[in-house]
Amino acid sequence: MAAGKVLVVDDEIHIVHVVTIKLRNNGFEVVSAENGADAFEMACKEKPDIIVTDFQMPIMTGLEFVEKLRQNEATEHIPVIMLTARGFAIEDKQKEDLQISEFLSKPFSPKELLRSIEDILHQVAVVQGS
Amino acid sequence: MRPVINLYEKGSPSARYHKTAVAVTGIVAVGLLIGVIAGWLASSFRAMQGLASIAPIFYIISALGVSWLGWRWVRLIGAISSVTEFLKQNKSSHIKSSDDVVINELVEAINGRFGGNTSYISELEEQLKDSQLKVQLLRRQKMNADAIIYSIRDAVIVTDELDRLLMANEAAGQLFGFDFKNSQHKGIGELINTDGKEFTNFLRQNRQNKARATRREIELGDARTFDCIASCVYGEEEQVCGVVAVLHDITREKEISQMKNDFVDHVSHELKTPLSSIAAYTEMLLDGEAKDEKTKEEFYSVIQGQTDRLGRLIEDILNVSRIESGLIKVDKKPVSLAVLIEEQLKMIKGYADEKKIRLEDVGKNVVVFGQVYADKDMISQVIVNLLSNAIKYTPSGGSVRVETEVDEIAQVMRVNVTDTGVGIPKDEVEHVFDKFYRVDANKSQAKGTGLGLNLVKQIVEKIHDGRIYVSSEVGVGSTFGFELPLATAKMAGVTSHRESSKSLSEEK
Repeated sequence: MAAGKVLVVDDEIHIVHVVTIKLRNNGFEVVSAENGADAFEMACKEKPDIIVTDFQMPIMTGLEFVEKLRQNEATEHIPVIMLTARGFAIEDKQKEDLQISEFLSKPFSPKELLRSIEDILHQVAVVQGS
Repeated sequence: MRPVINLYEKGSPSARYHKTAVAVTGIVAVGLLIGVIAGWLASSFRAMQGLASIAPIFYIISALGVSWLGWRWVRLIGAISSVTEFLKQNKSSHIKSSDDVVINELVEAINGRFGGNTSYISELEEQLKDSQLKVQLLRRQKMNADAIIYSIRDAVIVTDELDRLLMANEAAGQLFGFDFKNSQHKGIGELINTDGKEFTNFLRQNRQNKARATRREIELGDARTFDCIASCVYGEEEQVCGVVAVLHDITREKEISQMKNDFVDHVSHELKTPLSSIAAYTEMLLDGEAKDEKTKEEFYSVIQGQTDRLGRLIEDILNVSRIESGLIKVDKKPVSLAVLIEEQLKMIKGYADEKKIRLEDVGKNVVVFGQVYADKDMISQVIVNLLSNAIKYTPSGGSVRVETEVDEIAQVMRVNVTDTGVGIPKDEVEHVFDKFYRVDANKSQAKGTGLGLNLVKQIVEKIHDGRIYVSSEVGVGSTFGFELPLATAKMAGVTSHRESSKSLSEEK
């Protein structure tokens, strides 16, 4: 049984590729999308356990994508990790409002990303179990 | 009431002189009378003939008296005339004293009176001169201040204690749309419309708060931002008698600051993106996540590709920066554009063949000798950037056509690169030359730094005084073109090519 289903969203195919390999090697099922709009459809359809998304993407940015997730009953609960290569940090309030579990700055470590995903899923499992 | 002086009052010098004159006149009259009587008695009475000898003595005494009187009168009249003249002229001089007691008294009296006044008048004259100099100085200072205020580009407004306009320079008039000459002493709220309400409130608050200097950023007019400084003008008793406001337009500064932030943000993003791949794939290799040789090679290949991308990006950023700062070395010579195009077509043919794209070169024979005054390496980069972009975004089986023509009327040489590629959405066409701009819909089609077309624009327009343009239709293709002044035109100093060529190209 897979350790969980992860939706990876990034317009850089190499990032999607490397994250996918890292997660698959560690027992995760991975689905991916190149922009926020496709990712939202994918999230509704695939119901992932967690989403890893880039901040700056064409068509729909990472923030817009998360906003849309939070407005949808089927996806509002999905934890999100955001990767960003932007030179500025997002405001804490926005992070809180959108319930973004973690921000990772690019360049990021796939190992660290994996650890974050496992930690968050563990917390979710604990909450659900209690 | 002014005192009245009786000239012949008892005890006055004139009265004393009057007495003397009366006495002398009496002596003369008596002498004459005695002389006449003595003469008559001597001629009438023989017994009194002896009197005839004394008559001449009385005549002589009378004559002396008359002479004395005449001499005194003449001197007095002369002295009076001189004094009158002196008083008329009102000169700050001194009257010479006389040996005549009466005249001397008069002279001393006048000198005493007017001598004191003379020093006072001199003092007044000095003060007047000082005041005139001060007025001149103040007038000059005002003229200088006016010249400064009217020549500065910042808007300057001065209001009084009732918020009425006292002074405004031309920049202020233009900003708020009033003519100062017809607006002086009008209420500032009446002169400045509702768009400037924040500014008029700012002035009023400043005056009410008696603030020395207050600063605020205020948006006015067409979304222009002004750095406004208002300072109260104080009277002698420290009461506020007006406000001086200076409005400095910082719209451009803010735009530049925003552009800088955006640029740093973009550069940061663009550099971090390939760096992320390099770091992630390297870590994966080190952690043994590449399970087989094929995967390892794939990872190495990605690292190499992303390293090249990073290198190109840094080179492009440096080139754009060098051009913008004017530090790039430009070596302009007359060069044949057709020959440069041929060279670049040969270089890129392999890439086109790989993608099965047909390359066409139209019009090269016609213009092979047409020359432009350009930096060969830079224009080669322009051509190769346009050609590689065209090939990148054209699907397999398509074509890329290069057309070259000489426009003798506009004195320019024109190169158009037309592809049968994916095209650019209408609302994005105007942004394709912006730094780091990449057409969203076409991002997945090819890699790019988003700086190539900006570099092309800078080289053509900034370095070569030419013009770059684009037209595109989604699904049909795009035409990227540029014009450069002909070498002959450049040498002859023809500068109107931009205007004429613009109208021609707009017909396309």
